[in-house]
Amino acid sequence: MTFFAKFCIPFIVGVVVLFAVIAIKYLSWLRNLPKKDWKLIFSNIISWRTVAAAWEVVCESLLHRRIFKVNPRLGYMHMSLAFGWFLLIAVGWIETVAYMGFKWVPLQGHVFFKYFVPLNGITEHKPLFDFVMDLLLLFVLSGVGLAWFKRLRSRALGMKKTTKHVLFDRIALSALWFIFPLRLVAESITAAIYGGGSFLTGGIGILLSKSIGVEALSYTYEPAWWLYSTALGVFFIAMPFSRYMHIFTEIPLIFLRHYQLRPESKEKSYDNFELEACSRCGICIDPCQLQSQLGINDVQSVYFLRDRRYNMLQQKIANNCLMCGRCEQVCPVGINLNTLRLNSRSSMRNIPNEGRYNYLRNVDTSSGEGKVGYFAGCMTLLTPNTLRSMRQIFEAAHEQVWWADKEGGACCGRPLMLSGEVDSARKMIEHNKSLFVKHQIKTLVTSCPICLKVFREEYKLEGIEVLHHSEYILRLIQKGRLKINYQRGATFTYHDPCELGRGSGIYDEPRAVIKAVGELLEPAHNRKEAFCCGSSVANTAINDAQQLTIAGKVATELSETRAKTIVTACPLCKKAITRGTETQVVDLSEIVAQNLKQ
Amino acid sequence: MINFGFAINKPRAIDIDRNNLRKSNEIISEMPELQACIGCGSCTASCTAGNLTEFNFRKVHTLVRRGEYQGAYEEMNKCMLCGKCRLVCPRGINTRGIVMLIKRKLGDF
Repeated sequence: MTFFAKFCIPFIVGVVVLFAVIAIKYLSWLRNLPKKDWKLIFSNIISWRTVAAAWEVVCESLLHRRIFKVNPRLGYMHMSLAFGWFLLIAVGWIETVAYMGFKWVPLQGHVFFKYFVPLNGITEHKPLFDFVMDLLLLFVLSGVGLAWFKRLRSRALGMKKTTKHVLFDRIALSALWFIFPLRLVAESITAAIYGGGSFLTGGIGILLSKSIGVEALSYTYEPAWWLYSTALGVFFIAMPFSRYMHIFTEIPLIFLRHYQLRPESKEKSYDNFELEACSRCGICIDPCQLQSQLGINDVQSVYFLRDRRYNMLQQKIANNCLMCGRCEQVCPVGINLNTLRLNSRSSMRNIPNEGRYNYLRNVDTSSGEGKVGYFAGCMTLLTPNTLRSMRQIFEAAHEQVWWADKEGGACCGRPLMLSGEVDSARKMIEHNKSLFVKHQIKTLVTSCPICLKVFREEYKLEGIEVLHHSEYILRLIQKGRLKINYQRGATFTYHDPCELGRGSGIYDEPRAVIKAVGELLEPAHNRKEAFCCGSSVANTAINDAQQLTIAGKVATELSETRAKTIVTACPLCKKAITRGTETQVVDLSEIVAQNLKQ
Repeated sequence: MINFGFAINKPRAIDIDRNNLRKSNEIISEMPELQACIGCGSCTASCTAGNLTEFNFRKVHTLVRRGEYQGAYEEMNKCMLCGKCRLVCPRGINTRGIVMLIKRKLGDF
């Protein structure tokens, strides 16, 4: 048997183009990986990490477990397409093997097996295979049906907004939508003429032969297979240039991620794997407060990644993001959305300037001495109540404190970093670090989660433990160095700051401190799903009125808990939320200082 | 002379008709909110960089608006973008956005 017919040409061309483009892309990305990344790959490739990665590929690329967690209906849609198609290919291959034995059969022979071997009763297993293949086709078609339905009514699948697509996506999407219905038609006509097929293709075949007649149907036989092959060919050619590149790219991404490769504050070749692994599913759109609360529709991570991938990223898109991390939290591919945005900003704005911030030499306005250093942070210097409360807490615990920036020190560098000026931020980091080292502190406490994050991630402070004041206060309470009066009847609600919660993973410590003072009432969105206050230093694009709108919405939700006091653990959040509500907004340290046992 | 700790600038005239206002106009048309500035100086008073140097945000952006660009980019480079000025601005001006815009228009990117 030759396993070739003219109608196979579009399919074969598609497959050749697809794999050629993918090979070119992957090889060039891998070749450009920095040496450091290659070392990581070599040191990790022969280890359990490879097994773990392979297992994750099955769970994510085929079963789409993470989408199921976010939204079961959407998960089913993606799984039926991916896993269903995979099974169709796998069972199709087994069917060929069952018929031909382990002989080499060209790819089109597997794919169009029904065309080449349509006759019933060739092997005794054929009815079984027909049944399984029909079942799988129905499974995939149910996913296609849901996809059609989702375009019409995204809300029906639990998405308020669905992605707007570019031209290549539309071509690939249309082709994909037609592949399986056309396969159904082609196989049904084959079944009508030659017999065979199970409940689905066989059933439709019988209907067709009765209503139209085998004679007339035989004219549609070749065209039907041509259409199916063409749909496949068009999809394969459009695929590497469209969002469907994610089907393959997610696999190397998962392996590389298990080998501990990560995006960094400057762009590198690895980012390409993350960029093209984005399926533009649009799950990141709904959590974005710029979308839901301000109606800004073109800056979300899905559009940011798309624009960056096609080299059409504009500064105003890259800059318009709160970097709250709510999208990163739900991304089913686990793309490091914040880091990618950050290094895009860096490519657009980072101008290394050796002379910059030279004025930082010889400015040390710190006072006192002690094993514990307290870095209030710029924002805390604008919330004197927090400063005063921290002083009372230090005094009550009899702690010797070195005040790093009481009379005004340098910024921690994180705001500059967030706006992309990574190299300049290093100057501040070095300056502050030299002060910490000079004063020989063992513990560094800060009240500002923005500073906390950069201290932990960029400062590399060996021998110095970095604590947020919520962790520090809780530790004092647990060691009995602080005695607190529990206020019966006092009710608090807690706003998770982005940089503290999603950014640094600190959720429980502030809650434990609040529970030592009074009752804690949780708002509707908390912990990982907590809202951003809107004043994030990462965003330089939205205006004051827009910040106020977000603050108002967030404050409303917090007030709805009917707590008497809103507590937060970030000076910036405190300032922002205060503007949006009548309810009293305080920092965590304030409620502790007010209720100290003398 | 008694040292009061501050001094008065030497008198000088800025001739707006002579200055090239193209950049200034571009800046104002991109972020018109800058025109809402009442010159209160809260930004400068709270400024982290201003606390350590002579950097004066109010002065620089006022001069830039009047077409006096000399040295403005270098001055703006002292800013640490910490964002205190934005929090204290009574007019709600996006000061960090202004710093970045002025640098983009007058500098190298």
